[in-house]
Order: sequence, then C-alpha cells, then structure tokens
Amino acid sequence: MREFKVEIIRYLTDSTYVVRIKRNGFKFQTGQFVMLSPEKLAQQREYSVYSGENDPYIEVLIREVKDGDTSKRLKLLHPGDKLKLDGPFGFFNFHPDKFTGDLFLFVATGTGISPFHSFIRTFPKLNYHLIHGVRYGHEAYEHDDFAKDRITLCTSGDSSGDFEGRVTDYVTLQKLNPDTNCFLCGNSEMITEMFDILTAKGVPVSNIYSEVYF
Amino acid sequence: MKYHVITLGCQMNLSDSERVISVLDEAGYEWTDNEEEAGLIGILACSVRQKAIDKVYSRIHKWNKWKDHKNLVTFISGCILPNDHEKFLKLFDITFQMKDLPKLPEMISRYGVTTPAQLKIGIDPHNENIERFWNVKPSYQSNYEAFIPIQNGCDKFCSFCAVPYTRGREVSRPSKDILAELALLVAQGFKSITLLGQNVNSYGLDKKGEEVTFPELLRQIGEMGKRLKKEFWVYFTSPHPRDMTDEVIEVIAQYPVLAKQIHLPMQSGDDKVLIRMNRKHNMGKYRDIVHSIRRLIPEATLFTDIIVGFTGETEEQFENTRRAMEEFKFNMSYTAMYSPRPGATSHRWDDDVSQDEKKRRLHVLTEELRKYNVPYNKSLVDKTLRVLVRGADRKEGYLSSLTEGKLIVRFASNNKDLIGQFADVKVVSASDFSLEGELVKVKEAVTQ
Repeated sequence: MREFKVEIIRYLTDSTYVVRIKRNGFKFQTGQFVMLSPEKLAQQREYSVYSGENDPYIEVLIREVKDGDTSKRLKLLHPGDKLKLDGPFGFFNFHPDKFTGDLFLFVATGTGISPFHSFIRTFPKLNYHLIHGVRYGHEAYEHDDFAKDRITLCTSGDSSGDFEGRVTDYVTLQKLNPDTNCFLCGNSEMITEMFDILTAKGVPVSNIYSEVYF
Repeated sequence: MKYHVITLGCQMNLSDSERVISVLDEAGYEWTDNEEEAGLIGILACSVRQKAIDKVYSRIHKWNKWKDHKNLVTFISGCILPNDHEKFLKLFDITFQMKDLPKLPEMISRYGVTTPAQLKIGIDPHNENIERFWNVKPSYQSNYEAFIPIQNGCDKFCSFCAVPYTRGREVSRPSKDILAELALLVAQGFKSITLLGQNVNSYGLDKKGEEVTFPELLRQIGEMGKRLKKEFWVYFTSPHPRDMTDEVIEVIAQYPVLAKQIHLPMQSGDDKVLIRMNRKHNMGKYRDIVHSIRRLIPEATLFTDIIVGFTGETEEQFENTRRAMEEFKFNMSYTAMYSPRPGATSHRWDDDVSQDEKKRRLHVLTEELRKYNVPYNKSLVDKTLRVLVRGADRKEGYLSSLTEGKLIVRFASNNKDLIGQFADVKVVSASDFSLEGELVKVKEAVTQ
C-alpha cells in the first residue's frame, strides 16, 4: 500500500465527488479498481479508476454511502492530505484489441460510469455508445467528457434525461447488433436484468462483461 | 465477536470444552454467558444419552431460526454417534472431531467471519508478515498427511465473501521454500500433501516474471516425485475457475504424484447468479474446464462448492444449478446455505430466500449428488484401488481409507500399523458416499 497526496476534490453533487491524486508512477489498466482509505482509517473500499491510463493523475469517482465510513472520510479530505491506495485490481480491464468486432455498448448506473469514463479517456476514438442510468438529471456526472451523440442519459426520477425510465427499459426498446461487446457496471439488479435483455436480443454470454458495484 | 459454548454429557466433554474455549480465546473471540448475544455458538454434544441429543436438536432448531434475523455461525463436536453426525452435518455450519480443534478458527474463517483480534488491529493488506507464518515450523497433527501453505489472500472480491478484507492481497510463497518443505515432508514419510491457498491456482500471478507460475510449480513437484522415487500424492485447494488453465490440467495428467482429484468450486450453475456473486467466470468457462479435465484426466474425481439460496436466487436459477450437477456428476459437493457475512458486498443486499427454501434446495442437491454417486461407486466394485489408510472406521473392526480421488473406502482390519500406509483394496460393495473393500496387499510402491 502506498501513500498519495490529494491534489483536488471536485464535488459533482451533494453526495458525489471526484478525488484527484498525484500519479507518482502508479500503473493500471483502464477498467481496474483501487482500494482507498484515508490515512488513519484501517478500513479500505474499492473504487474504479475514473481517469485514463495516460492522464498525469489518478482520479476516482466516489458516492458517499449512508453507512459507509470510508466514503464519508474521503469526502472530508483537502488538497495536500494523504490517502492510502492499494492496487490495481480487477478483471474489467479493457483494451479494444482484445475483442472481436469494434462495437461497444457500455451500460452504467450511478457511479458505475467510472470505468467507462476511464475507457474513453484512454481510447478516445472508440466506437461506443454509453447508456447511463441515474435517478435525477443532475447526477449526469461530467457527461461533457463524452461525445454527445455517444451517450444516452436515462433518468428514472424525473424527465430531464434523454429517456425517462431505467436503463433496462431503454435497452429493451433498442435494436442491437448481436456482435456488440456489452459492458455493464453498477448495481447488481441492473446487471442481472440487463443480462436477460441482452441475451434475449441474441448477444452471446461470452460478449457480456460485468462489474458489480453494489 | 462474542461466543458461547454449551457442554452436554460427561467430564470428558467438560474437559474438551475447556480446550475449545482456550482456542477461541486465543483467536480473540469474547466469551458471553448469554447465548443470544453470541455470533458464534458451539455445542459439545453427547450421543450417549437421548436426552442430551434432544437438547442438541432443540437448540440448533432455535439457533437456525435466529439466523433469519442475525448472523450466526454454529458448530458441534464432542461424542457423536455416526447417525447423529450425519444429521448434524445438515443442521450445523461446522462439525469437527476434537482432534481437529486447532483448525477451528480456520474453519470459522471459511464462513467469512473475521476474528475480533483481526478487527482490532486491521489487516495487513499486503500480507507483509506472511513469510513469518510460512517460516513457522508446523506441529503436524498427523505423520502421513500435511498441508503446505503456498499462497495467501484474495484479489477476486466475490460478493458473498469477506476474505479480501480479512486476508488481504494475494501473496505467493517463494517456490524454493515450497519445494524444500515438500521434499522434507516426503523424506519424513508423509504421503498425502495438500498445497493450500485461498486461490491456490493464482499462485505466482502477484510476482509475474519473478516467480514460477502455478503449472510450473506443479511441474517441478512432479519432477521431484520422479527423482525421489517415493510414493506420495499431492493435492491443491482451493482453485478459482478463472485461473484454471488447460496447462494446469495437462501437468496433473503428466505426473503420477499429482493426485487425480480436482476441487473446482462452482458456487452456482446459473450465469446471472455468478454475476451477482462477482465470480469472474460463467458456466461456459466452467464447462470448458470440466471438459478438459474429463478429456485429459478421465479418471479424476471432481469435487465442488455450491451456495444455495444466494440473494435473489430464483427457482429457475436454482434449477440451473441442479442441472449443472446433473451434467457434471460431481463426486462430492460441499453445499452451503447462503448466509450474509459482515464485510462482504452481499451483506448489504436482502437475504431474500427463506431459510426453509434454502434447506429445501440443499436437500435437493444432496439427493442429486447421491443419485450420481451410487452408479459411479458401483462401477468401482470388483476393482482394486490404491488407498491411503487414515484410521479406525466408525464401523467396529474396520479401517477407513481414502483413494487418490478422495473416495472413502473402509475394509475389515484391526491392524493399526496400517494407518498412514498405502494399500491395495478390492472394492466389494458400494453405498451412496463410500465404498467397502477387502485388503489385497500393503506395499510401498516406488513407481514414479
């Protein structure tokens, strides 16, 4: 485990924020996660890397969890504070050359957008479409970082998104090339429902990749 | 975590319970007089008196009901008749013989329960002190069976398991130390040696380029077997399907000392449940591995681990697990009813399959296992199998032994000198989960 210094914290909503720390030579593959904890807390939690492989910093997107000690403590950090980082870990790592075909569908709920943000920062020319599900429109975390025609915001709690409803409702209504490589990240209910929807549309199980967040 | 132990029966059980308490105290658990406060409850049972056994049933039914609203791990040991033992296997989380008492904290930790001592000091996520543990000279409980830790920690983060938070990261032990310990054990006459790790076949992945891979480690062990010209069987547990390669299976097939028994945890036979479990493998991958095992090592026995009643597991998803058992025809399945473990991701999810339904699913899978074991075991009748004699059988006048594939074979003999020896036994009859045979000969084969 290594210590890193916080550079900036960006508050995206009341409960969601991005912590940027100095890179210090840390290597990872886009899609992987790290384990973070404030300097004096033993408990670690895992967070996908939000920044790209080539960015000169590391960023993680964090949502404060009601009963979560780590996310609450990380939110209180200031530039110059230290945190402990361990990793990288995980098997959601992405490189377009690893896949047959060049069609990529990314489906995220909430902060599950994090690895996809990293994918796009690392491979900006990717032929992808990202579907991001949140409750309210203001939770569309930094959508300006994605090409407008490649992202669809689904909002289940208001009508401010491109689609009013859940990501599963949206994908159900879409035509899909069965050769698409589908990546799912977010809550487990979404992932398991989406698994049914995608397989019903002819996507083979071997083309579905998932990262369960909660 | 607080614990409570109930002692039934005679002074011998009282004496046993004192030792149980000593082991649990040392592991950092805290005694409570109030069983309702406890997260860990054990019972030192006595089958000699029906009243004492009735008390066990009364208690365990109550405790299992408590599991509907609290996390609780239960264990039982003491004087238990074989019939009762079989029933207790279904009712208690852990059953063990007193000789295995030193392993009790390990058995509890398999249920994802961290010890209070660990909670207090936190964990060392990089396992930097693990070498000290590896370098401790073990006091082996047997003179023919031994375990060699080769890897510690877990990077897989299955949603039902707290091990990544309690054991830290995957760390591989230096292969030269593993090989040296193995050579020493073989020289001392040990015959069944198990390589241990939370994800044993992830060995070397944390030290790519600096340490050998898992199949290479097995290859070196196989070559050692050829050089030493002694008969011994080397097992490994538990592997993760994600890291199970054809190369591992090919190496096992190639070397006689690498036991033809593979424990491959499946956990569920349904892809969606596997996703929720964050298992990093699907049924396609699992099926490919089993096909490779059947193709390259047709004689290998296959063991597995399964969790029934995981959060959100539907009847249809459970049925997929049952079908998978039908397809793979496991020789043994360690099937557990799901219960949320503090610290694991799934602990935050609704435990929404009722205890009764979990029990039903467990029973269905047990019957399924029985269904496929009977014809398999019967196919071994009249065959002569090599076995390692392990001790007195619960049937009077019999010894109990294990085949290379870890099938139980008992045979008539009172000769305790055979314990720890290899022998050839001709199978004369088969039951659901064991075989009975006749001793053919005892020999020290040197045929590597």
